Amino acid sequence: MNTVWLSLVTVLPIAIGAATAALAMRAISTSAIEGMTRQPEIAQQLFTAMLIGMALVEALCIYTLVVTLVMAGNVG
Amino acid sequence: MVIAMTETVTHGMDPQSLVVLVNAAAVGAALVAGGAWLARGQLSVDAPGPRQNIGEAILSFFVGKARAMAHGPQASRIVNLVTPLLATLFLFIFVSNLVAILPLPVVNRPPTSHFSVTLGLALCAVLGTLVVSAALKGPLPTLKHLFWPNPMQWVSEITDVMSLSLRLFGNIAGEYMTVLLVVAVVPWGIPLILHALGLIPAFVQALVFTLLTASFMAAAIHEEKKRQRRRRGLFGAKGATTEGRASS
Repeated sequence: MNTVWLSLVTVLPIAIGAATAALAMRAISTSAIEGMTRQPEIAQQLFTAMLIGMALVEALCIYTLVVTLVMAGNVG
Repeated sequence: MVIAMTETVTHGMDPQSLVVLVNAAAVGAALVAGGAWLARGQLSVDAPGPRQNIGEAILSFFVGKARAMAHGPQASRIVNLVTPLLATLFLFIFVSNLVAILPLPVVNRPPTSHFSVTLGLALCAVLGTLVVSAALKGPLPTLKHLFWPNPMQWVSEITDVMSLSLRLFGNIAGEYMTVLLVVAVVPWGIPLILHALGLIPAFVQALVFTLLTASFMAAAIHEEKKRQRRRRGLFGAKGATTEGRASS
């Protein structure tokens, strides 16, 4: 019983982190693609800004991945 | 004797770290050799050879990235200062990420999947930002920027290091671990698809690292530009048109 709870607690952060990061990335890519189709002449700048925004969102997800890895190492 | 020397150097080091160390050195050596090979031979303005064309295409990619972040009267100086650092970071990270697709079972661990390597790269990027800022603004304004107007401004440099290094490490190590797990279950076919998909993050993570470093640098030298713009505004319309032409 205890092991089940421990493993659940260990994998829950990365599940929540990945899901919320996916929502945020959906918002970023949707608006970036809308902007690119409306104004293809600035598509390159929008792509750069989109990549940076996605990297910032992704960093949060990676933090949860690191926390999960540390917890998994401690729980064993 | 070589074995004894190796044991002295790697005393207490686990084999994975040794693989990472050797791979990082190999990537660096391959980049230096490739750069020397591209730059060797007859360079010509009228009839550039194929090697010169390849080298100039790679160089102009980075010069374009550096030009996108540099504005103002010092733009060409900023480009000259920043391009070598950005190009080195991008090429090292990109080639390091590509080590994972080598068809060698144990030694194909990418150096960027080890946290020490990414931490070192992020430290290089952030310290390079400070050095570029010191070269353009002088050391004292750079130090002042760390404590003024916000006395906790220096914390953001540390979080920049953490976010840059953890992002690269998490992406590449996660990719590598996924491939290892899948290879343990299905050794044929499926890993090929994973490797093909892994080419995208390999490029995107190198690009993101470089672009974020470039934007940190642009933010570090932005304060000076703002002051200059305000000073120019006092001189009226003529200064404004010069500024507009310089920034366009």
